[in-house]
Amino acid sequence: MSQAEDKFDAIIVGAGPAGSACAYTLAKAGKNVLVIERGDSPGSKNVTGGRIYTYALEMLEPGIFAEAALERRVTHEQIMLLAGQRAITVDFHQPGFNAEDQAPVSFTVLRAVFDEWLAGKAEEMGAIVACGIKVDRLIEEEGRIAGVVAGEDEMYADVVIAADGVNSFMAQEAGLIQDISAKTMGVGVKEVIELPAQTISERFNLQADEGAARMLLGCTEGIHGGGFLYTNKQSISLGCVFTPEEVAQHKRSVHEIFQDLKMHPAIAPLIAGGETIEYSAHLVSEAGVRGIHPKLHREGFLMIGDAAGFVINTGYSIRGIDLAIVSGIAAANAIIAAAENIASVGPNYIQELNRLKLLPAMKAADGYFEVLETPWIYDKIPNLANDIMENLFRISGEVPLRMKDNVLGAIKANGLTVWQLAKLGIKGVRSL
Amino acid sequence: MSQVIACYKWVADEADIRINADLSIDLSKAKGKISDYDKNAIEAAIQAAAVLGGKAVGVTFGTSDAKPSLKDALSRGLDEVCYIKAQEASQADGAATARALAAAIKKLENVSLIICAEGASDTYSRQTAPRIGAFLDLPVVTSVSKMELTGNTLTAVRKLDDCLQTVKVDLPAVVAVLPEINPAPIPGLKAVLAAGKKPVHELKAADLGVDLSPLSTISEIKGYIMDRKNIIFNEGDLAEQVKALVAALRKEGVL
Amino acid sequence: MFCKVAGIFVYSDQADIAREIIGFARLNGRQSVVLTLGEKDAQALQNAGADKIIAIKGESEMIENYAQAIAVMLKDESAELFAVGATPRGRDLAARVAGYLDCAMVSDIAAAGFEGDQIVCTRMMYGGAVQQTEKLSGLSVITIPPGKFATAQGEASILSLELPADNRVSLMETAPIVKEGVDLSKAEKVVCVGMALDKAEDLQIARDLADVMGAELGCTRSIAEERHWLPVESYIGISGAVIKPKLYLSMGVSGQIQHVYGIRDAGLIVAIDTNEKAPIFKAADYGIVGDLYQVVPMLTEALKK
Ligand SMILES: Cc1cc2nc3c(=O)[nH]c(=O)nc-3n(C[C@H](O)[C@H](O)[C@H](O)COP(=O)(O)OP(=O)(O)OC[C@H]3O[C@@H](n4cnc5c(N)ncnc54)[C@H](O)[C@@H]3O)c2cc1C
Ligand SMILES: Cc1cc2nc3c(=O)[nH]c(=O)nc-3n(C[C@H](O)[C@H](O)[C@H](O)COP(=O)(O)OP(=O)(O)OC[C@H]3O[C@@H](n4cnc5c(N)ncnc54)[C@H](O)[C@@H]3O)c2cc1C
Ligand SMILES: Nc1ncnc2c1ncn2[C@@H]1O[C@H](COP(=O)(O)O)[C@@H](O)[C@H]1O
Repeated sequence: MSQAEDKFDAIIVGAGPAGSACAYTLAKAGKNVLVIERGDSPGSKNVTGGRIYTYALEMLEPGIFAEAALERRVTHEQIMLLAGQRAITVDFHQPGFNAEDQAPVSFTVLRAVFDEWLAGKAEEMGAIVACGIKVDRLIEEEGRIAGVVAGEDEMYADVVIAADGVNSFMAQEAGLIQDISAKTMGVGVKEVIELPAQTISERFNLQADEGAARMLLGCTEGIHGGGFLYTNKQSISLGCVFTPEEVAQHKRSVHEIFQDLKMHPAIAPLIAGGETIEYSAHLVSEAGVRGIHPKLHREGFLMIGDAAGFVINTGYSIRGIDLAIVSGIAAANAIIAAAENIASVGPNYIQELNRLKLLPAMKAADGYFEVLETPWIYDKIPNLANDIMENLFRISGEVPLRMKDNVLGAIKANGLTVWQLAKLGIKGVRSL
Repeated sequence: MSQVIACYKWVADEADIRINADLSIDLSKAKGKISDYDKNAIEAAIQAAAVLGGKAVGVTFGTSDAKPSLKDALSRGLDEVCYIKAQEASQADGAATARALAAAIKKLENVSLIICAEGASDTYSRQTAPRIGAFLDLPVVTSVSKMELTGNTLTAVRKLDDCLQTVKVDLPAVVAVLPEINPAPIPGLKAVLAAGKKPVHELKAADLGVDLSPLSTISEIKGYIMDRKNIIFNEGDLAEQVKALVAALRKEGVL
Repeated sequence: MFCKVAGIFVYSDQADIAREIIGFARLNGRQSVVLTLGEKDAQALQNAGADKIIAIKGESEMIENYAQAIAVMLKDESAELFAVGATPRGRDLAARVAGYLDCAMVSDIAAAGFEGDQIVCTRMMYGGAVQQTEKLSGLSVITIPPGKFATAQGEASILSLELPADNRVSLMETAPIVKEGVDLSKAEKVVCVGMALDKAEDLQIARDLADVMGAELGCTRSIAEERHWLPVESYIGISGAVIKPKLYLSMGVSGQIQHVYGIRDAGLIVAIDTNEKAPIFKAADYGIVGDLYQVVPMLTEALKK
């Protein structure tokens, strides 16, 4: 093969949502794009909780969501506070999230299918997707990134795009990030539990293709983290995210805590009779805008999606897929706009990230980080809420406590003060 | 130019087969793959073609589901693939399969060697190579663990139950190779990219002029379920788990 | 005509299997005509209950090379079935005969019988995950693995028959495979190793355990065929040994269906593997999720007590 045949306009490392969205946009603009994915098929190694916000797909191609490999339209937003055997569930139902004539707000999603579909769309546009191949190194020439090395093969491109996910090895290779500290990382474990569609609809009170997204607090034995539950068409995604360094000090393993969650009286009936068809574990950035790498590009090199640190963790949801897609589009736009002027790709990219509101959205969500840093929200708050409920509903022959005494007593019993809660509340309000 | 044929089959991955409570089987979750040992057959064909200075050509008989196999097979180093795309493949037995493959191979010129794997991972019938040989009336060598080509002569080591046989045959011939014939390498990036540019010849059932209906009638298909205790010792540390295992085995009276 | 009625023609390069196939014919009220290559094999089967033995004489020492001639004979004799012992030679011959006849064939039957004129066979698919029953009409071919049918008794007459051989494949050399391993199919306890072992010396860990347990050592196909760390007869599974010990204990065996097929009849299955999702745990009675390099020495010690 001659050098010319070995050269692409762009090489994208990783066929996750970031890589495929970028490839799609570039190929659609007639660029010669190669996507390299180490998994045997796109998505085979990827882990996600389970929901995607549809606006990002609309940005990619209006209406494309209708043919996307998605699960259920989320119309039930739920929060569950667990404490011991007890649980409070808040269910916000907005059928309008599911309106016929417009794109729904979000869908539940299974990545193995979704990623394969999206990569397929990029291929249809003319991108080449090479699976089962791991990129080992970057090629640097005269101070710029000029290509990649996979096994014994070298391949060149005007721009190499790191879409290789969290802890991006490509970005480390390019010298743009150091090893990521465990502090800003969560480790997620997840099972996909298969159940008949009908059973899921009944258990979650769902109509037709409606779905529920549930955030769980109080299931991590006080470890910084939380759980999630998403209803797919014929399965339930159930998982937890933990801070690894706290897990290391904890007496029980993530696996054990997760198994307990599955046995919780409020969870067990939801998954009863189901068969676990998939088990996975993966890292996720928890730092929000603080986790974005200070440098997202150098000459001939861009970082997108998780590789760049684009994840918003609000506690009640993790957003990464949509940001991955948006950043992929931003990178593609930057390359298309730069035309022959490769040096302008990087600055263009940052501009696009702002124009497409990705960076502003992440900045706006920064307050959550501090709220989530509050150690006692992971056990004491759910316990407090459940205590208050219990006092409220437990009727005996005694004179009932006044509501104020109930609440104050419960706060005290949980080792908290009104002042602490007020501060958290202020932080919380500010972060919103 | 002489052509070396590698017959390969696109099969459902047996690891993904689900067995329902009524023992019916569910293939809907099963991914496709090139039958494991056919990867060795493909590699053997590539090596043989290199020695003979010819082309290595894949031949596969499958339904439209087998399409993803083309890129995979070509990225393993085959020069071309001949894809017999026919719905009949889903019902084919050993007879129909061999008829289809033999008819397609007959259409190719200068075929010097036809290589199959020992057995496909779905049927594991180990029929196809000898049957193709009979159809084309070519000599057949099965259970081949080593082969060497000198000029027009193939020397092969056959691994049988009780002995290793060294046999000699002049080409053209049909060979069924064991997986230990070679370690089938994993394709690299350039090979995968090159695959996209290689030719695929598609044949339809009608092009073959043979009957592709099976000779045997399937009357029942059911899954096999193992009924075992499935007790995992996970309480306490490893030492305690080992202790619990020993206690259980003593109780079972198997020690 | 060798048979007065349509009958079963039998061949196996292993006399034991040939005897069982004759038993199968008897069981189904069929006459059996046994083919052998040469007189010696014929005499060995003389008391096996066949109706007739045909000792083939010809220019080749390889039975496979008579496939076409046998196909012609089966047709001429209006044979009902050609039943062949499922060994590498047998499968080759059987499939070639089926090819020349262009007739139905079922390989390695799990069960076989007759329903009127039809032959009903069950066989494994997908490495043993699926059982398929097929019906064959007219002259058909099947291969039968050992141990499926009871043998029969009775004297048969031997007839010597010259057949043309296809000499295009010529036999240059034969090197017997000396069976170094034990016959696992008769072992009471089996310790089985898989690809988790880093190097051949580490087999000692398994040997030590096998010694205290009084077990034989078995392995997966990859260990025997790719790494050649243990003799071929030590590997268990659909293409290896099918065993039925009281106790089978595996270490670092993932438990792919083709392997598990070989241990289905084990009394008790115990698995040690680092991957809790390994399929072997689904097939096991007892399991420990852990590193075999830690677990096995502990187990050996515990059993010494
Ligand atoms: C437990 C958990 C729950 C989550 N829940 C949600 C949720 O509900 N909603 C949401 O929006 N986000 C969620 N996220 C975040 C979301 O999954 C990620 O932000 C998203 O996957 C990022 O996409 P990406 O394309 O950047 O990277 P990835 O999806 O990680 O894709 C990277 C790809 O690169 C490939 N790759 C890596 N290295 C190489 C290499 N050297 N060579 C070739 N290929 C390589 C990988 O195989 C992979 O396919 C969750 C994350 C976790 C861990
Ligand atoms: C047509 C066909 C026929 C076949 N016939 C047979 C057959 O008859 N017999 C047979 O065995 N195979 C057969 N196979 C192959 C079979 O599919 C599997 O590939 C093979 O059995 C895998 O062998 P393994 O379990 O040793 O290796 P692997 O699948 O690689 O498993 C190794 C296991 O070791 C575990 N492990 C790794 N490190 C450690 C550690 N330190 N401690 C504990 N556990 C560890 C891993 O988690 C894994 O589960 C056949 C395949 C085909 C396609
Ligand atoms: N449908 C098919 N298309 C191409 N090759 C096949 C097909 N079926 C079987 N083969 C070849 O024949 C070998 C043995 O298959 P089997 O006889 O079914 O065990 C396979 O490993 C392939 O090499």
